[in-house]
Amino acid sequence: MQTFFFVAFPYIALILAVGVGLYRYFARRFTYSSLSSELVEKKYLFWGSVSWHYGITLILLAHLLVALLPAPSRLVLGNHTRLVVLELTGIGLGLYCLFGIVALIARRLPNKSAARSVTSPMDWILLLALGYQAFSGVGIAMFERWGAAWYLNTAVPWLWSLAILHPNAATVTGLPFFIQTHFINGFLVILLFPFTRLVHVVSLPLEYLWRPYQVVIWNRDPRRKQLPCPCQASAVPASAPPPLEPTDEKRRRSLTRIGILVGGISAAIVGIPSLAFLLGLRKAPREWRPLGAVDSFPVGQTVEVSFADASPLPWAGVTAKTAAWLRRDGPAQFTAFSINCTHLGCPVRWLPTANLFMCPCHGGVFYKDGTVASGPPPKPLVTYPVRLNKGIVEILTSPVPITTV
Amino acid sequence: MRILKQLWHWLDDITGISKSLGPILTHPVPRARKTRWLYVFGSATLAAFLVQVVTGIALSSAYVTSSGQAYHSLQFINSTTIGRIVRGIHYFGASAMIILIGLHTIRVYLMGSYKYPRQMNWLTGAGLLMFTLLMAFTGQLLRWDQIGFWTAVVAAEQAGRVPLIGNWLGHFILAGNTAGGATLSRFFSAHVFFIPALIFTFLSVHLYLVLFNGISEPPKAGRPVDPRTYRRWYHSLLESEGIPFWPYAAWRDLFFGTIVVLAIFTLAVVAGPPELGKPPDPTIVSASPRPDWYFMWYFALLSLIPKWTENWVILLGPLFFGLFLILVPILGGRGERSPLRRPWSILIIASVIVIIAHYWAEGIRAPWSPRLESPPLPASVVGVTSGPVADGARVFYEKGCEYCHTVSGYGGIRGPNLSDAGDRLTPAQMATRIFSGAENMPSYRGELTEEQLSSLLAFLSSRHLLQVPKPPVLKTPGK
Repeated sequence: MQTFFFVAFPYIALILAVGVGLYRYFARRFTYSSLSSELVEKKYLFWGSVSWHYGITLILLAHLLVALLPAPSRLVLGNHTRLVVLELTGIGLGLYCLFGIVALIARRLPNKSAARSVTSPMDWILLLALGYQAFSGVGIAMFERWGAAWYLNTAVPWLWSLAILHPNAATVTGLPFFIQTHFINGFLVILLFPFTRLVHVVSLPLEYLWRPYQVVIWNRDPRRKQLPCPCQASAVPASAPPPLEPTDEKRRRSLTRIGILVGGISAAIVGIPSLAFLLGLRKAPREWRPLGAVDSFPVGQTVEVSFADASPLPWAGVTAKTAAWLRRDGPAQFTAFSINCTHLGCPVRWLPTANLFMCPCHGGVFYKDGTVASGPPPKPLVTYPVRLNKGIVEILTSPVPITTV
Repeated sequence: MRILKQLWHWLDDITGISKSLGPILTHPVPRARKTRWLYVFGSATLAAFLVQVVTGIALSSAYVTSSGQAYHSLQFINSTTIGRIVRGIHYFGASAMIILIGLHTIRVYLMGSYKYPRQMNWLTGAGLLMFTLLMAFTGQLLRWDQIGFWTAVVAAEQAGRVPLIGNWLGHFILAGNTAGGATLSRFFSAHVFFIPALIFTFLSVHLYLVLFNGISEPPKAGRPVDPRTYRRWYHSLLESEGIPFWPYAAWRDLFFGTIVVLAIFTLAVVAGPPELGKPPDPTIVSASPRPDWYFMWYFALLSLIPKWTENWVILLGPLFFGLFLILVPILGGRGERSPLRRPWSILIIASVIVIIAHYWAEGIRAPWSPRLESPPLPASVVGVTSGPVADGARVFYEKGCEYCHTVSGYGGIRGPNLSDAGDRLTPAQMATRIFSGAENMPSYRGELTEEQLSSLLAFLSSRHLLQVPKPPVLKTPGK
């Protein structure tokens, strides 16, 4: 049963939502509407619709963001104060949209009202499903031992497992029944999407955000009156084409647009992969590289060590090597300094008698512990991780340290 | 001869070369009179660029774009006489291109030739100037020896100072976490395909605009440019006293361009290409990366500016330079062209030349660089071979003092010359400085034993330019 509800049902809901949604979009375009009943009843609608839509949009966005970006979300929610602030905001928004959906249900309830008469059975099912979703959401937040961090660690892994087609409901099957109904009902709402007026969510009028608040349009096409400019006329007097018919001009304009579009598509097809290839950086895993036996490094001395990059390219030759300054501080303590000066990356030299690192480029000097002694370097020498492994000193390959602002 | 003539007529008939190119060659240009020889720098830059294209193609046929083998392929090119000459031409061609594009820019700026209607001529030219500098930078890097290798790292570090995306940008330039196998290919592709493609594009527009707007007439004080009347006036000028570009103006371009090419060739043969340094092995830490001469002044600039301004200079310097180039024709598109009526333009050019020349000279001296190769002071300088003064001279060398301080002509020039330290400073003053260090001097607190310190002070106190030996006053301070 659990498998059905948490594995099969979500897929069924999603497939139906997409499949029937697409069918309805192409076959019954005009039914993609929220079927406004504003003319029938206005007062409740204002309170209900505004509260519901603002509340549910923000809450869905939060659900979506956390689900899509689990790692950053973990960082954000990891702080107690932030967690509390976010959860209080969430409960506030939840109550706000619960209030909204109740108002939306209530306005259709009165017997013999116009609002009641335009409400179909599917509308009632949808309203109840949405109402229950809002109710259970707020209920879980307030009465179950559950919070934003729980969502991140139970529902999100499950949703991801569904998304990558390796369904694994283990993180949600053990939850209390009330919480599970929120999940199931959520997918029910997704399933209801193509069968109800909920389809209007995909016709979100985002354009309203940036279009001018009023749009003035010409009743006739102003461009038709434009005469060819005299300079052109004199440049090619004999072979100038006869004045274009309006329909021909229209055709010419649409052909121009199509030309630009097709050219743009071709450019994108070639350009995007090339650019992606250029921008793609080789991600080499960091590796531990042996530097030599512990006893080959005298205590208190700093020596140059060299080792291979994390994953040297076959044609890299000598450039596949990397160097570092390794100092044995004690019997089992080692410090490895990057040879790159923190100023502009030139290789610093260790002067054993003076106990200083000096950079030949702009004269930066570092003390033996890597701190800046003089000159332009803005920060101490970067150290690389070192470890002892069965009597062998090992260094972790690291990126060239780049001093950032 | 007749056959050739017939061939040409046939070719011209089926291609229309003389009909299309003929009017371009003979288009009228204003008489330049006294300033006529100042109009040759643009075409000479083009000549140098063509030299670069030809020799670049030749070099690319032997150059191996591989971080591991580029150095060996360059060694191979260098080992052949003709290879050396071609490399030399490419190197001096680059130098010539930089100098000539600089002269061309200065000429156009001082003469106000960027004013209406030639603003776009200037802007495309500004783009070409930037691309030329980029070519110089990437080209130096392709000489994939030790300095070429570290140039890539220095480039990445400078890009790292861009806010927010600095780290990504730096590693993007290196094409990975470290400078390695992927790095060189990136710069090769930029130097050989990407930037040249941009240069060709901008150059075509630039040349087209030169023809479209006509070559600017020499400026005259008191004859401002008014966009409403300029074109009509310019055309009447051409009608009354214009001369055909070919051959009356073009011969000077040809003549000067030939001199440029001959000079490049002579230098390439006589001076030869820059020698390859050590192999690009990151583990050879005894490296002293230096830019080629055209960026020497920038290298010096980054050493000599105050530390806190550095990020601003690295970031905003190029930005302001670009902004200046863009704003010049936009804000100053009309009005007086003559430098006599634009004193600020003279001042700006003079300051830029003085500043660059100064930093350039400083860059060659590189006073901030420790002289890590200076030998220990010889006995003739120290004066004695044993005793505290001789011991002190040894400490002076071992502790790295000599890398930055000159004594009797030996050592670095970062810090004050200590040849006459004994005349100027008491041992207590010396000891204070040695212990406390300074902005550009490390502190030696805890680095010197009491014995080392006293012998070092003895040595420094014995440094006199006046030939009056003073008895060394030995006193350990501050106890």
